[in-house]
Amino acid sequence: MFLVDVSILYFCNVSAIGYYVGMVGLSVGEKHFIQGGIAQDLRTDGRKRLTYRPIFVETGVIAQANGSARVKMGRTEVIVSVKAELGRPSSSAPDKGKVSIYIDCSPTAAPQFEGRGGEELSMELSAALRQCLLGGKSGAGAGINLSSLSIVDGKICWDLYIDGLVISMDGNILDALGAAIKAALSNTGIPKVNVASAAPSDEQPEVDVSDEEFLQFDTTAVPVIITLTKIGRHYIVDATSEEESQMSSAVSVSINRQGLICGLTKRGGTGLDPSVILDMISVAKHVSEQLMNKLDSEIAAAEAMEEES
Amino acid sequence: MAAKAGASPATYSPSPTTYKKNRPPIFTDVDWVRPDGRDFHQCRPAFLRTGAVNAASGSAYAEFGNTKVMVSIFGPRESKKAMIYSDIGRLNCNASDNKEISSQLHKSLEGAIMLDTFPKTTVDVFALVLESGGCDLPVVISCASLALADAGIMMYDLVAAVSVSCLGKNLVIDPVSEEENYQDGGLMITCLPSRNEVTQLTITGEWSTPKIHEAMELCLDACSKLGKIMRSCLKESSSTSQE
Repeated sequence: MFLVDVSILYFCNVSAIGYYVGMVGLSVGEKHFIQGGIAQDLRTDGRKRLTYRPIFVETGVIAQANGSARVKMGRTEVIVSVKAELGRPSSSAPDKGKVSIYIDCSPTAAPQFEGRGGEELSMELSAALRQCLLGGKSGAGAGINLSSLSIVDGKICWDLYIDGLVISMDGNILDALGAAIKAALSNTGIPKVNVASAAPSDEQPEVDVSDEEFLQFDTTAVPVIITLTKIGRHYIVDATSEEESQMSSAVSVSINRQGLICGLTKRGGTGLDPSVILDMISVAKHVSEQLMNKLDSEIAAAEAMEEES
Repeated sequence: MAAKAGASPATYSPSPTTYKKNRPPIFTDVDWVRPDGRDFHQCRPAFLRTGAVNAASGSAYAEFGNTKVMVSIFGPRESKKAMIYSDIGRLNCNASDNKEISSQLHKSLEGAIMLDTFPKTTVDVFALVLESGGCDLPVVISCASLALADAGIMMYDLVAAVSVSCLGKNLVIDPVSEEENYQDGGLMITCLPSRNEVTQLTITGEWSTPKIHEAMELCLDACSKLGKIMRSCLKESSSTSQE
């Protein structure tokens, strides 16, 4: 049994409490243990600061959806489903499809999710994911190519509904949801559509949605989300609920395969020096390569398993 | 839609092709000029006034070009959820029931306010966007912190917020709504200028790390200048009230 030297005490401002004030009420000793361990690169579960918990991916869990995935990171578990329906494009972007992302935090995951608490968190998560996946207003840098969802300009397009459900909460939900969305999108098949040609200009053209032929969604541009939690003077990746209750602030960075930042949100009220933020971005970039590769191999394995069964 | 010969006047319906609004090519051109003639790295002139709403504990009005915002502060006053004891104060932000702006405003301000100076009570921040001319959220945040200072709520520092748009290869500071609608990416920083601390950072779109460095430097510089303008506004209003 390791005896962590707890004589190093960090006087951190724990004035800003993260999202989830764990129902785990931590004693002062436990708090010092967590903070001290992080300072010495040995967290309570034995991980290093920049190590992720084992990730488990399962695809095709929801038969009625066009694509779905279930991701487990330690004890955090989320399910994402993708449904595609025919819809009308908006008048400001007639050549693009529409994507709507909605996350639901069920009280079964944590009691503080009941009622308003869960609502606020759901909204924040949905907004953060929308930001990461849909890029700038002009569509540049989007993980999902909206133009590929258009069928007939100005009349018919695919509406993608991405719904996430948080089943079990043990910290780091945003990363788990990002991974689950990536997995669900790789599992998504958009049915092939035949458009009846020569339709009069102001009427809806007839479309024939194929039941057999499906086009796989292209997920090479979908980014991963890495959340770096700052505790004391160090950053950790993939924080558990206990560790998150001790954080001063957290930065969630979304990075794509080319190493470009697709989105960034800072959470937690405590101020951070700009150089610290830039440092966190470079650490996140470094970690993202490993996570991206790990995730891709897990998703491929999950798809292979699904095909066998 | 077809006109009937000799019958009632033909109704006009726009044909579908007019719906296509392509991005104005000027934004991708290297020497294009901004709609209001500013430099790429020039912010709009800021007009700030405190004491806009007499009945409130504190208030402020901000006009940055065409973006006009008014914020009023009520409190510290009794919490509605008085059942729950809290040894630090509570901050409640409402921006005309727009949940996203309200939550962003809350996140930006909570790091700057000394909540333990008003335990058991709540400070309400109500923001109203009178005219939206681009860059709404940063203006709301700056105006709100000015109003909090006017109300006498203790804070670590004023909060200044600035946003930058990425249009093609150009970084354009303090975008107007036209520029915002066609941006390839946006970066918004909320900081405490005197302490050089960033309380909120939001990035959308695709950015490379050197570009983020450049944008952050631009924004922090603009924030410190905005902080000075806010301070001089507060000094002016307190000197006029003394007269």
